[in-house]
Amino acid sequence: MRPVVLAAALCALVSGCGLSAQSADLPRLPDGHPNLQGLWIKSAGGFQGLFIGSLDGTNFAAPGGGRGDGRGGRAGGGPPAPAPYPYTPEAEAERQDRLKRGYEDPEARCHIPGVPRALDQPGGLYPVQIIQDEKQVALLHEAMHDVRIVPTDNSPHPKTYWAWDGDSRGRWDGDTLIVDVSNFNGRTWLDMAGNFVDENEHVLERFRLLDRDTILYEATVTDPTVFVRPIEMRFTLKRVPAEQQMLEYSCLEGERSLQHYTDEDGGRKRRAK
Amino acid sequence: MTGLRAAIRLAPGIALIASIVAIGAVGAAGQSARRPAGFAPARLSDGRTPDFRGIWQARGTAYVNIEGHPGARGLAPSRSIVVDPADGKIPYKADARARRQENYRTRATADPSVKCYQAGVPRATYLATPLQILQSPGNFAIVYQDNHAFRVFHPESRPHFDAADWWMGDTRYRWEGDTLVADVASMTDQVWLDQAGNHHSTEVHVVERYRLIGADTLEYEARIEDSVVYTRPWTLRTVLSRVTQPGARIVEDECLEDAQGVRRHVSPSDPRNLLRADYSRWTRPARP
Repeated sequence: MRPVVLAAALCALVSGCGLSAQSADLPRLPDGHPNLQGLWIKSAGGFQGLFIGSLDGTNFAAPGGGRGDGRGGRAGGGPPAPAPYPYTPEAEAERQDRLKRGYEDPEARCHIPGVPRALDQPGGLYPVQIIQDEKQVALLHEAMHDVRIVPTDNSPHPKTYWAWDGDSRGRWDGDTLIVDVSNFNGRTWLDMAGNFVDENEHVLERFRLLDRDTILYEATVTDPTVFVRPIEMRFTLKRVPAEQQMLEYSCLEGERSLQHYTDEDGGRKRRAK
Repeated sequence: MTGLRAAIRLAPGIALIASIVAIGAVGAAGQSARRPAGFAPARLSDGRTPDFRGIWQARGTAYVNIEGHPGARGLAPSRSIVVDPADGKIPYKADARARRQENYRTRATADPSVKCYQAGVPRATYLATPLQILQSPGNFAIVYQDNHAFRVFHPESRPHFDAADWWMGDTRYRWEGDTLVADVASMTDQVWLDQAGNHHSTEVHVVERYRLIGADTLEYEARIEDSVVYTRPWTLRTVLSRVTQPGARIVEDECLEDAQGVRRHVSPSDPRNLLRADYSRWTRPARP
């Protein structure tokens, strides 16, 4: 039995393994696909980690509020700092510049976070509600009331549509939901620390129900004009207890936080109004 | 399959007829012509729950003024969608009526929608943009194209979340036969009911009723109660038509500032889309 158990453990950790194997004990819809529905929240990890940044790269979430390069920190048992992003030299210069302009983070202005940032919110802060039927999987994010409706018919991307969230097309590969995301508008930041992608971003996401209360989320982000090689990310979504519900994240309505980003731009201009 | 295709081809005609009948019946609640007996909606996979899934849109222009308005260049007139009281007028208290007139006077800048704020309930339902109903047995949510607002409907077995004033309210629902009845509370007083400045207070309580009256026609009714602003509860009613064009979808509707600092909604498929000219700091070759 030992090798079987080991293989199962590896399958839980490594994608693409045993895709055709149907696990009997997962909750399923009448169409046979795993039932991803419910309210979920990121447990740990991801690009954003626990970085709560400022324009000089301070990570307020790091132990002692340590100063770093703004690439994520380790706090209270949080994830290790992610590996440096494989930027092209031009993109690295742009990223350093953006690090000084945190107030330009689109999310600071309540814009849609994009993919994968919508799911990759700082751990445990904002849940996502999944509603699924035989034709689509919808992701309703509390953060920025961002919505993605993913048809699971493997249909092609449109030719004339660009958006913050791009265009998502899904398909089932065994028990894994594979979502291909393209057609981004090029304005997305990956986090509060100036990390970014442009309109050539392409994301391949994999949603896999490990057990009733756990979804393994993996994403491969490619962007040939920004990164020299693809970025891989992985984290789990944990089911939120049924007695809890999503709250409303009305961001723009009565927005008051932009002034905290910097006194030079956001703050002074805003107070002058 | 033949039957299905025929239904799709006929759909726009059915929707159009239904809309006309509904407009004709405004102000005369309970007319039986609008309520074809025995329409049986399709069911979800549980074989029980009425299937409201799809993209829906109000065809009228009640979003301008739910009490009705004359036509203008490029704008069709609308009769009042207020069905109770019978005169089609919102039963304001005197001071609330005065605030409504002030709202109307300043609507070009004071309308929360101008500032890209979420529309609130019931306004989000009869906007000029579509909504999509997401549904599975035990789950019900509405995604509005306008400002990508959405509402997750929770079963009525739980009490309202009552610790905040929300833009889209807090919704509890139950089924009465094939009618979905939703109870909405915890709403802010900052939302308007239309572009004309009709309004309510934080005490507002909305009871919505969603009912399929044809395969492609969804009747929507909202009973609005607010003892601070109105002398009595009142009811509006309209119909939503199914958007049947192949490939139709909710598009991402983000509200951005243009060069003049004016906020406006931009659809990514809109040729005037500001996003395309907004790569000011990071320009790259256009995608092939």
